[in-house]
Amino acid sequence: MTPSASDATTTDTTDTYPAGAIGLGTIDRGAARVTVDDKSMINARADVNQLLPLKYHWAWEKYLAGCANHWMPTEVGMHADLALWKSEDGLTGDERLMLQRNLGFFATAESLVANNLVLAVYRHITNPECRQYLLRQAFEEAVHTHAFQYICESLGLDEGELFNMYREVPSIADKDAWALRYTQHLQDSSFATGTVARDQEFLRDLIAFYVVVEGMWFYTGFAQVLSLGRRNKMVGIAEQYQYILRDESVHLNFGIDCVNQIKRENPQLWGSAFQREVREMLAEGCELEIAYARDTMPRGMLGLNAELCEQYMRFITNRRCVQLGLDLVFDDVGNPFPWMSEAVDLAKEKNFFETRVTDYRSGTGLDWN
Amino acid sequence: MTETLYAAPSPPEVSIVDAGGARYPLDASRVRAVVEQACRDVDGVDPAAVLDACWPCLYDGMSAAELDEALVMSARTLIETEPGYSRVTARLLLDTLRGEALSYLAAAVAGGSTAERPGASHRPDQEQMRERYPGYFTAFVHRAVELGQLDPAMARFDLARVGAALVPDRDLSFEFLGLRTLYDRYLLHDGGIRYELPQAFFMRVAMGLALREDDPDRRAVEFYELLSTFRFMASTPTLFNAGTTRPQLSSCFLTTVDDSLDAIFRSYRNNALLAKYSGGLGNDWTPVRGLGAHIAGTNGKSQGVVPFLKIANDTAIAVNQGGKRKGAACAYLETWHIDIEEFLELRKNTGDERRRTHDMNTANWVPDEFLRRVVTDGEWTLFSPDEVPDLHELYGHAFAERYRAYEHAARRGEIRVHRTVRAVDLWRRMLTMLFETGHPWITFKDPCNLRSPQRHAGVVHSSNLCTEITLNTSAEEVAVCNLGSVNLAAHLSGARIDDRLLESTVRTAVRMLDNVIDINFYTVDEARAANLRHRPIGLGVMGYAETLFAIGAPVDSEQAVEFADRSMELVSYHAIDASSRLAAERGRYESYEGSLWSEGILPIDSLRLLAGSREDGECDVDTSTTLAWQALRERVRQRGMRNSTVLAVAPTATIANICGVSPSVEPVFRNLYVKSNMSGEFTVINPCLVEDLKRHGLWDEEIAAELKRQDGSLATIDRVPEQLKRLYATAFEIDSRWLVEAASRRQKWIDQAQSLNLYIDTPSGRALDELYRHAWRKGLKTTYYLRTRAATRVEKSTLDRADGALNAVPATVTYSCGTGDEDCEACQ
Repeated sequence: MTPSASDATTTDTTDTYPAGAIGLGTIDRGAARVTVDDKSMINARADVNQLLPLKYHWAWEKYLAGCANHWMPTEVGMHADLALWKSEDGLTGDERLMLQRNLGFFATAESLVANNLVLAVYRHITNPECRQYLLRQAFEEAVHTHAFQYICESLGLDEGELFNMYREVPSIADKDAWALRYTQHLQDSSFATGTVARDQEFLRDLIAFYVVVEGMWFYTGFAQVLSLGRRNKMVGIAEQYQYILRDESVHLNFGIDCVNQIKRENPQLWGSAFQREVREMLAEGCELEIAYARDTMPRGMLGLNAELCEQYMRFITNRRCVQLGLDLVFDDVGNPFPWMSEAVDLAKEKNFFETRVTDYRSGTGLDWN
Repeated sequence: MTETLYAAPSPPEVSIVDAGGARYPLDASRVRAVVEQACRDVDGVDPAAVLDACWPCLYDGMSAAELDEALVMSARTLIETEPGYSRVTARLLLDTLRGEALSYLAAAVAGGSTAERPGASHRPDQEQMRERYPGYFTAFVHRAVELGQLDPAMARFDLARVGAALVPDRDLSFEFLGLRTLYDRYLLHDGGIRYELPQAFFMRVAMGLALREDDPDRRAVEFYELLSTFRFMASTPTLFNAGTTRPQLSSCFLTTVDDSLDAIFRSYRNNALLAKYSGGLGNDWTPVRGLGAHIAGTNGKSQGVVPFLKIANDTAIAVNQGGKRKGAACAYLETWHIDIEEFLELRKNTGDERRRTHDMNTANWVPDEFLRRVVTDGEWTLFSPDEVPDLHELYGHAFAERYRAYEHAARRGEIRVHRTVRAVDLWRRMLTMLFETGHPWITFKDPCNLRSPQRHAGVVHSSNLCTEITLNTSAEEVAVCNLGSVNLAAHLSGARIDDRLLESTVRTAVRMLDNVIDINFYTVDEARAANLRHRPIGLGVMGYAETLFAIGAPVDSEQAVEFADRSMELVSYHAIDASSRLAAERGRYESYEGSLWSEGILPIDSLRLLAGSREDGECDVDTSTTLAWQALRERVRQRGMRNSTVLAVAPTATIANICGVSPSVEPVFRNLYVKSNMSGEFTVINPCLVEDLKRHGLWDEEIAAELKRQDGSLATIDRVPEQLKRLYATAFEIDSRWLVEAASRRQKWIDQAQSLNLYIDTPSGRALDELYRHAWRKGLKTTYYLRTRAATRVEKSTLDRADGALNAVPATVTYSCGTGDEDCEACQ
């Protein structure tokens, strides 16, 4: 159902895009040159193929950050994980169940995110620097899916089980079905932004994926695996998750910036009723995650259980509200995982004898003059 | 959804399952007692905070071991709020360790199973340990000998005498990271159950190094004093293996690989055997012919050195030092090797995986002539070593002349494989790769050779795994170095170094290192031969950053540079003196005659050999001295030396953790950060800073959060006085040229080299170029990692509110439906 060039050029209903706004229109030989003021996040009239002059420097910065953070899953050694996974008393049964479901969720979730990006978001963002980031992000989603393939192969997991969990494990299926609705709205080739209702439809999709999927659900997923990592268990997977988290941090915040920029340019979209609705979406996302936490951790394990994850999800939900400029969904809740500080917040110094030093970055931009 | 849902936690009603499978209810009062004891006499800590964090971590049916782990996990999370919790966490771990060790020995003595339930009697507290330590120690030694882990000679010590010398309360002096490191990897264990307590560990190492002394009991106690007070720490292989039945105690091995398949594959075998017992490897690969070189036996062409390096890489992975450390090797290549450009890319994370060595370190072995061409923007010619076989053996003027002659020969068409590049282009690629992948490091061939005391006995072909060792290698000799480091922070007396104490530490330390050579278990014959002939040792320092804090000298000050000079002068003076005294007692090392020592040329004097080989403007080193060097020079000439080298400043990555001080001569990485190693991740907060902030009345929750938000930097925290900001500037905030200045002053006194990390904050090719040219001009022998920052950080998840650091667009917007109608419904 990918919209084709002919779909875009042959539709002439007033509420769909001019083909130029998507980037597939006939080249307009006589048009005036694009200026910064012509550019906008959505519904732009300016040619989307002209990157310069830049308007949204933050988008370009995030693109550069993404490139500089490049990593590949195969850089991470999995020997220790394999040894632990194969040893009979390396992990408790509950820890195994949690880890498998966690991997099961992520293995396909990264693909869902990528699909939404490529098949829905890209089409409707009418700004070339943002699109530049989207292309980078799409590649990173592929790298993340690669990471789960690599973990699956390294540990010799049952691939059928892993990659089907999003259909077969109800709490995962519920989450994915919730998110997928928003993509489905948008991928219809006749859908186009340009009215308040449709622009809001698009905002809902951005919020569903960037804020709920990547910004909330992924975070409990990270916390689960990093809680093993802090006990020095499954350290290879934990390291991959730290890389993924570094990428996802940028994804999430790009999404938040997009939403906030669209709001600024189109304040009519952000009425109190719509704000209420978005808070409702976040609350729904939170509930789905809590159900998933109960399902993946029916009993507790050392330092981690469904109740703590529930509190954590509420804590994270509130943070996202702040970032979007919304009233909090929950009464003030504290962070039940202060140890995440060690896992993700603090800068790391690695001992090269013992682990690979990973703070390096691409040197292509070095200036010698 | 209300706050009451998350009220202060209380002990949950859960059962604990012991090793035998029996369930019993959680004994909350014992847990409280243990935590309270661990907090006793530690400033600023609160047992309730640990307990509140602990209760929610528990679950029904958890094991007794997990309960111990939960306490440790709960306390360690608090370290970022108050450094005192580091000690609290260490004591909680000590409680676990005591239970483990004493229960094990009790069961072993009774001949029972080790799975016996750990009862209270087998988990003494500190009070009881003071009584029980000597008796425990005797039982420990006997058990370890019985298990075949310790050399039976260890049981022939006067165990009552050495046991009485143990100081049980030194078990309380560990920070968490230190004790955890010992617990995870250093303490002797039987099937994963540790039965060696920290003081027993230090005494075991001390005894292991005193085995061949005339009065072993007395020397063991002397050595123990040094180790257990953290004044000096032996290197990791010595700590692992001293006193055991396989005492491989050396840290570093350097080899050169000859240009034949036979030699290449023998080098893999040697690498494996050397790495097995914790050695690190520096392999000189320069002699191996390059891509396109002729192979006489087949009349074919060589694929060059890179495919062989890949095998070396995989060998290092396969041999993981018995699971204690990753096998570690560094490949060296001289800058004129025809494969140098591919060598530079070995650590890239893109490209043909068959030509990548992700797990092996790499380093450039750079001749002065190359830097000369860079400075003058000249050309540089690459050769295959089989056609220029003597180049690698030459240095100084001789190298420069010969190299130019080969260039002429190449131009005349007399050399088959060669290529000319612009020197600056190659230099920039070297720096770009260093920036991008941290590799290859940059080390300077000529100063390493020109200033080597053993010039008469061969050529230094490479440095080692950590770029602090510069010893000769040949087909017959694998160089070996035994390392240990003086903890400068433990020699502070107010704001100065206690010279008397330092002298006594260094004298004993040099003796310990010299003992290693004779006790050592050599896995490779060529290593034994070289070590017994030349007897090199490498005494280094650590805890340097703390001494700068104590004297109040910011790294970027003349005062600090001067202190680097004077402190290393002291260490060097005492170390050379100590080795010379040992020569009087035990005899000179075999290859002494003809060495620089024998000619009265000490490290400070060999600077002129370097200056003599450099042209104008190529050598800018200070030569000031303050101690009685002429007298020492005379004594050395009379008594000779016991060791061909005595000094090398190693990274001390792990032993500094054991001592709870900053590693080597490093500036603080950050004031709050996470150290990541094989034992996991550890929050490190600079206790000197916290103490200073407390003194200024500035330490509170807010500043702790701010420190986290700023990645451990004070620079942007307004309330902190400028003077503290400068004193506690982190590695990335200091212009690395100051690090080079200090290193240059230190290098004056060092007969080998130092592992010098450099840091760069904002990526700039020009800054890199200047920094490394500066390092060369300043007479450094080697440099180590170039540290850069990751491009972005992640969202800080534990601060009270999202920090917004990654967001650029404000979230607030004034809603307007665009109609201008105040009563518009959508606006309400």
